[in-house]
Amino acid sequence: MISLLLEPFTYEYMQKAIWVSALVGGVCAFLSSYLILKGWSLMGDALSHSIVPGVALAYLLAVPYAIGAFFAGILAAFSMTLVKQKTKLREDTVIGLVFTTFFALGLLLVSINPTSVNIQAIILGNILAISNEDIYQVVIISAICLICLGMFWKDLLAVFFDEAHARSIGLPVQLLKIMFFTLLSAATVAALQTVGACLVIAMVVTPGATAYLLTDRFGKMIVMSVLLGSLTAAAGAYLSYFLNASTGGLIVTLQTALFLLAFLYAPKYGLLKARRSLHQKTEKA
Amino acid sequence: MLQPSPILLNLEKVGVTYPNGHTAIENISFTLQGGTICGLVGVNGAGKSTLFKSIMGFVKPTSGTVTIAGLEVKTALRRNLVSYVPQTEDVDWNFPVLVEDVVMMGRYGYMGFLRHPKAADRLAVQDALERVGMAAFRKRQIGELSGGQKKRVFVARALAQGGKIILLDEPFTGVDIKTEDSLILLFRTLAQEGCLILVSTHNLGSVPAFCDQVLLVNKTLLAAGPVETTFTEENLAKAFGGMLRHRKLAGSDLHDDKDHRAVTVLTDDESALVFYGHQGDKKIISPEGGGDGSP
Ligand SMILES: Nc1ncnc2c1ncn2[C@@H]1O[C@H](COP(=O)(O)OP(=O)(O)O)[C@@H](O)[C@H]1O
Ligand SMILES: [Mg+2]
Repeated sequence: MISLLLEPFTYEYMQKAIWVSALVGGVCAFLSSYLILKGWSLMGDALSHSIVPGVALAYLLAVPYAIGAFFAGILAAFSMTLVKQKTKLREDTVIGLVFTTFFALGLLLVSINPTSVNIQAIILGNILAISNEDIYQVVIISAICLICLGMFWKDLLAVFFDEAHARSIGLPVQLLKIMFFTLLSAATVAALQTVGACLVIAMVVTPGATAYLLTDRFGKMIVMSVLLGSLTAAAGAYLSYFLNASTGGLIVTLQTALFLLAFLYAPKYGLLKARRSLHQKTEKA
Repeated sequence: MLQPSPILLNLEKVGVTYPNGHTAIENISFTLQGGTICGLVGVNGAGKSTLFKSIMGFVKPTSGTVTIAGLEVKTALRRNLVSYVPQTEDVDWNFPVLVEDVVMMGRYGYMGFLRHPKAADRLAVQDALERVGMAAFRKRQIGELSGGQKKRVFVARALAQGGKIILLDEPFTGVDIKTEDSLILLFRTLAQEGCLILVSTHNLGSVPAFCDQVLLVNKTLLAAGPVETTFTEENLAKAFGGMLRHRKLAGSDLHDDKDHRAVTVLTDDESALVFYGHQGDKKIISPEGGGDGSP
């Protein structure tokens, strides 16, 4: 029995899949804490689709596709902030506009040059088949993200909570925002290889959303979110060995299951708690 | 406790034209120094908020310059010389931050790289919360407060920041009388400690009660100076045009003797400003009553 449970660890590709997933899951979960607070949940989805033209170009130019993806992602993020600043369009409109434009551009590039990219592989991702080269990329991206976020998480909180005040205490607001979107683009690229473009959105939304239900302190929210994100990612990769199922699908299913638990049982914001206090009130009255 | 050299706020011909071509303020020049409470008075749309934002550098003045303690605005902000409490807080009330976390953000400028609070920072936060009477709420999530309580938390954040210049844009709107009185008391203490307090308000009645200086604005600076000489019926009529409710009660309306003095009540919507006396030697009666001009 024990040997069966440990079996995945005897395969090198499974070991890699588990810890790389955990790493990416943690980074995405860290970012998710900010995204869900700002109502930018769709940003992750938008970015993951926006990088397609970058990938197509990277293949054409024969450079590592993470580089193309990264720059396309940053370009998309900046287009979004620029359009948002210069017009009075709502955030969701701007995101929709920019991301479809980029995606369409990507499809065009691929259709003109059909043999160049297997878009399917990008959209679905496959951690079990990840190459060593890709692992280096993911590890470097994740390490940079974690270091930057670890150093500046409070500054970012100040900027996102009250931008005017952040400026009035002399924080470099624009620089911090640029850093955040750069990290987000980078993390999206890393997540693509583990869960694929379609499920990136869950990785950068669900852990933060779950943690939000559990606490009133931002610091604790980040810790919980990162733990949830990396544990579910590792568990998803591990379970995929036995179930022979899609890693991305398993990871996101696990994350959603935990969200539902929090939704029902969270001490302060959970559904059952709200019911209970309502009961107590009516009984007292 | 007077500072050896009080802090100075200097505006030189400041003008702001918004991108849509609307000129909100123009040619505003004044100098204020630490130890004073200055009221910034004007109708809605007079440009009070714009003036604050241009002092903070949030809108770039299209002409003129702002200097704070002889420094450029950016440098002054980095040295935590200025605290600002905006008219409306553009913050997300659902953020998982507690009252004490918000006030602690006022201390970030003093903290090291990782923004780890030291004992002095915790003390400053505690002190600021006590001064605005919000210490009991320190563990509340920021969205779970009333409008007036939120306002007080942002005043506390400004205090914790320890700026020598404190700008408050209509801090009394949506705040009850008791809170208003305690805020005024607090501003007085801060001015005694050497701070320069610039408060915009359209609540005329309270201006003589707590301001030393007053700036009357309507797009441009109409009058500036000590309350006693500048905050007059004539100047206010200039600043507000026909916007004020105006009641003049002549001597014969008030009593039957030969006293010809008249009472003038000016108000826009909040507590009334009352003038009583002869044209020449008008006295201002604060709404709390008293003053040597009362009959
Ligand atoms: N962002 C803006 N763009 C264009 N015009 C503005 C903007 N903000 C304020 N204004 C205009 O500038 C004038 C002054 O506004 P404001 O400074 O808010 O006045 P106050 O605070 O005294 O009520 C008003 O006429 C207002 O319509
Ligand atoms: Mg205003």
